[in-house]
Amino acid sequence: MTTELVRLVARILLMPTFMVAFGVMIKGYADVGDGFSAGVIAALGVALQIMAFGTKDLNRMAIVRLAPRGTFLGLFIALLTVFVPAIRGQALFTHWPPPGEEVIHFGTLELITAVAFDVGVFLVVFGFGVGVISSIARAQARLVSARERAQRLVDQGAKTGRAR
Amino acid sequence: MTWVNHPNPALAVLIAAVLAPIVTVIVGYWEPRRVSLVAIATTAVAFGASVWGAWRGDAGYSFHWIDTWGVRFEISLDGLAAMYAMLATGIGLLVVLYASGYMPLHRSHTGQRAIEDVRFYAFLLMFMAAMVGLVMSQDLILLFVFWDLTAIASFFLIGYDSDLEESRDAAMMALLVTGISAVGVLIGALLLWTEYRTFSLPLIFEAAAPDPTVTWAVALILFGALAKSAQFPLHFWLPRAMAAPTPVSAYLHSAAMVAAGVFLIGRIYPLVALDDRITNALIVIGGASMVVGGLVALTRDVLKQVLAYSTISQYGYVVVMFGIGGTYGVAGATFYVIAHALAKSALFMTAGAVTESTHSNTLSEVGGLWRREPLLAVGSAMASAGMMALPLTIGFFKDELFFASSDTRGGWMQVFAILGAALSFAYIGRFWKEIFLGPEKGDHAPVPGRLNVPILTLGLLVVAGGIWVEPFRDVAERAASVSFGAELPIELAYHLDTRAENLMALAVYVLGILIVVTEPWWRQALFTFVSIGERIGPARLYYLAVKAANNLSTSIHDFEVRDLRSRIATILIPAGVLVLLAVIVTPTDGTFIIGDVDKGDLPVILMVVAATVSGVVVTLPRDHLRLALTLSCVGYSLAVVYAFLGSPDVALVAVLIETIFAVVFIGMLVLIPGAILRYERTLRPARFRVGRDAVIATIAGSVAFFVVWSALSRPSASTTVIEEQSKLAPIAHGYDIVTVILADFRGFDTMGEITVVAIAFLGIISLMRVGRLR
Repeated sequence: MTTELVRLVARILLMPTFMVAFGVMIKGYADVGDGFSAGVIAALGVALQIMAFGTKDLNRMAIVRLAPRGTFLGLFIALLTVFVPAIRGQALFTHWPPPGEEVIHFGTLELITAVAFDVGVFLVVFGFGVGVISSIARAQARLVSARERAQRLVDQGAKTGRAR
Repeated sequence: MTWVNHPNPALAVLIAAVLAPIVTVIVGYWEPRRVSLVAIATTAVAFGASVWGAWRGDAGYSFHWIDTWGVRFEISLDGLAAMYAMLATGIGLLVVLYASGYMPLHRSHTGQRAIEDVRFYAFLLMFMAAMVGLVMSQDLILLFVFWDLTAIASFFLIGYDSDLEESRDAAMMALLVTGISAVGVLIGALLLWTEYRTFSLPLIFEAAAPDPTVTWAVALILFGALAKSAQFPLHFWLPRAMAAPTPVSAYLHSAAMVAAGVFLIGRIYPLVALDDRITNALIVIGGASMVVGGLVALTRDVLKQVLAYSTISQYGYVVVMFGIGGTYGVAGATFYVIAHALAKSALFMTAGAVTESTHSNTLSEVGGLWRREPLLAVGSAMASAGMMALPLTIGFFKDELFFASSDTRGGWMQVFAILGAALSFAYIGRFWKEIFLGPEKGDHAPVPGRLNVPILTLGLLVVAGGIWVEPFRDVAERAASVSFGAELPIELAYHLDTRAENLMALAVYVLGILIVVTEPWWRQALFTFVSIGERIGPARLYYLAVKAANNLSTSIHDFEVRDLRSRIATILIPAGVLVLLAVIVTPTDGTFIIGDVDKGDLPVILMVVAATVSGVVVTLPRDHLRLALTLSCVGYSLAVVYAFLGSPDVALVAVLIETIFAVVFIGMLVLIPGAILRYERTLRPARFRVGRDAVIATIAGSVAFFVVWSALSRPSASTTVIEEQSKLAPIAHGYDIVTVILADFRGFDTMGEITVVAIAFLGIISLMRVGRLR
């Protein structure tokens, strides 16, 4: 069991972690970082929660349930940016808008298909990280409860044996 | 719709042939009981298309296939293609007809279910389609594709009874012999390309001139062709392929697979004729096959084995005639294929019918069958007469041309021709005589009509060809003209005079009868000779080679799967050795430069040292937790190096990866029972393994070191790429070059990588949730 301090820090850090991840992702095209790093950062944030709070509340966290499914949504988004140009008769992976055209900005965020692809990468990596870590955590929880059950049986056996 | 009004014969034939297996499979799985009917119908359509196409005359069709290599999908229904297409589909039709009666009987022996017939017809017709495509191909690459398709189909056909080891062995052998030799065809095609810059056969023929490269190319292509035609010394796969159901043998070894080999000789004959060494080699190989096949056929007792060796010998004739060349040689070879295909398929079908009827498959166990099966006896008598070249059969003309072509070389060639023909007269005569004459032997069940009809049809064709040879001659004439590259009239008629051909034929009959009659005298000697051949022949070499390859594969596999260490070693050692060879071979001038070091580099050097130290320290800890943490140390120190070298993106990724890796690693350690972890901590590896691992690590490490060093010593190429991409990044609306490379310039790589991540994720999840790690 973790200490109160660890749990407090973990809880406080979750949202900032996501904020950093979000920032790293959308600024990726103009600054350090990209969808991959953002995915790992966000996954580490979730991993911290799992390590601090254990697996009991795991399934109650929507993010833990949804993120692994997001892997395939991310793959789908990435594939869209690859194949949609083909429908328009362009070469695969032709990004939009084309070179030389004006790009809509929100601060450093650029609304271009390359960033959409990066979002796909983010979802894949984030889902992968959360999925793997939560699977390991669940397996550990099963192991622990199996050990406890076995211990109880041993204790009971000892008791009844003594009673006889 | 011009296509409907003016159909292209070449395309129509190919489509009809390709549709046959497809339609058969679809209808077959939907309605398994009708599969033979559908197969017959679709094959009949393909045959009809071939005949119609041949009647319409030369036609071609082509489109760009692989533009960058100059490969065209170029087919043409010229005389040669028309002849082989008609043979493949026509004999195919009769074989399918025969199979519709034979396969139910075959199933009752093997216990296969009716649905398996679909598989049988599918591969049989796939073979037919591949054969039709092969004979029409005018492009060497296209030809090679169809060539290999026939090999694949034959593998499944020969190994049809896949629960018998004998069948599987035979299928593998046929695939290895004809498949490996097929690489010769491919290499030959590429060599021709280097000479003529085209894969198109008509263009190559136009430009053809004697040249060493061309000779090599032709020799390699002929290697493939001769192996396919089961010519000595690569003949041994054919007798074993008799493990296949009889319809397969009747098809593959009369009109299809072995015929593909001599077809290829006919197709590239203009190149073959360029060099005397090639044609002389053909005479030698064909002659050897004639003699070996003929002699062994005389000693065989199993019905289909007699026919198998006879096929080797008969195709030996064809190869010899191509070797002799000239008008008679080419005409004879081409005509011979027709005559042989008709008669030999009938004889194979006879063997199958006899075995189904008497439940025995050896000559010594059957006899006197003509009284019980007069129809079968007559049908196969006509076919045998054709093989024995008796007058009033098409076979007489095949030998007439053979003798005429041997006449052009005179002397010893004539003697040899007489000997060869006498041998085939003898073994076919013996085959028919032992089955149908003599005292009745064994039990007997009536042969179903469906087995008799194709045999009789073929027998009648053989006789019809002897009386009215013109239609067959016309087909052969057109085909031979294509091979010869010029009009090649074939004269075929009976002449009641004492010309050389007639005298030679007479000599053959006398000699052949003598061989059959004197069997008791030569029997022992021949058996001894043949058994010596079996003991030290090429088949034994094949088995030794297969066994050695198997052992090698097994030992590598055993080493590889032993533990994690050996798995890594099997990657590191070959990679290390290969790269080391490359490093040794490449000129080292300016490859390894030691750059300048100044004070500013001190932090980087310190971090590299830290990384190195932690890399060495990784080998020390015995307990798993410390091991995992030391590994992370290596990664973190490298991340700092990246940061110092001015690549914050890479450094960020490295830090993140190391962190999540450590979390996952330690999480997995918790899942391993403590007792095992404690036990493993006490293990000490054997000293020799420590030494061996050190050697492997040193090789891999130092090779990697030299490669990186040489890469860093030549910054010019990489800097230009980076400069280029940095320049392009703003145009792609990006300012962080790394992300632009990931998402745009090298986006396909990233796409592939995240696909791998998603697949790995699926694997991990299924292992953890439902699999063995649960």
